Amino acid sequence: MTFTGFIGRICMFPLRAIIAACVALRIHPNILTFVGVLINGIAAYELAHGRFVRAGFIMIVANIFDFIDGKVAVELGEVSKFGGFWDSVIDRFSDIVLFIGLIYLYAQMGRTDYVMVASFAMMFALMTSYTRARAESLIAKCKVGFMERPERIVLFMIGAFTNRMAAVLWVILVLSVFTVADRVIHTYRELRGAQREVVA
Amino acid sequence: MKNPATLPGRVLWNAFFWTYERATWQYDVMVIAILAFVWLTPPDWLNDPMAHGRGPIGWLLDHLR
Repeated sequence: MTFTGFIGRICMFPLRAIIAACVALRIHPNILTFVGVLINGIAAYELAHGRFVRAGFIMIVANIFDFIDGKVAVELGEVSKFGGFWDSVIDRFSDIVLFIGLIYLYAQMGRTDYVMVASFAMMFALMTSYTRARAESLIAKCKVGFMERPERIVLFMIGAFTNRMAAVLWVILVLSVFTVADRVIHTYRELRGAQREVVA
Repeated sequence: MKNPATLPGRVLWNAFFWTYERATWQYDVMVIAILAFVWLTPPDWLNDPMAHGRGPIGWLLDHLR
């Protein structure tokens, strides 16, 4: 088993209990998704005031909601196309609000350089989601590139708990740029291949 | 576009144009590389607005002198 797979398995133990509790209480998955973004808003507030460790703990809670909504939907038999759409939309708000918290913090500190780093990281983080969504309206699958939402969230938590947010923002920025490029190139290749097949 | 012919070139190419799944050894290597960058890079090198100091690399360099 890989190191990351092992960590994933350990994290699943408490999550299974939380999923079971939500299923027993018959909490609608769309409500869980919405609660997640509200809690992320509180985490953003803490980030904006430079209270990183507290923000880290709040992000853990928010992302538990974010993670379990899909599983609860399956268990309750409430899987729907709207649920998937709602989840994606709310996830973008959760992404943006955390970046806004950091942008506010750096702006308050007069650090224009990191306002720009955080803004570009936010832009490319959103574009990773958009490129995949748009690509998958044209081709079957566009699951390439490293920096997806789970990686971003874990990096945010690592940055918050260990006070290394600047390094985390650089990692998110650089790898998101490559992820977007990767998706554009992948889509171009797939579409060109399909076009050649039609011509042949 | 073709993959670069040399090994370091291929490693960099595959790291940036990523196609591996999570929980593979390639994913583990990438995670370790990212964590090393985040934790070992001295905050001063990045002009970190919230953290200061030279970090583990600075500490190591001080002890090697």
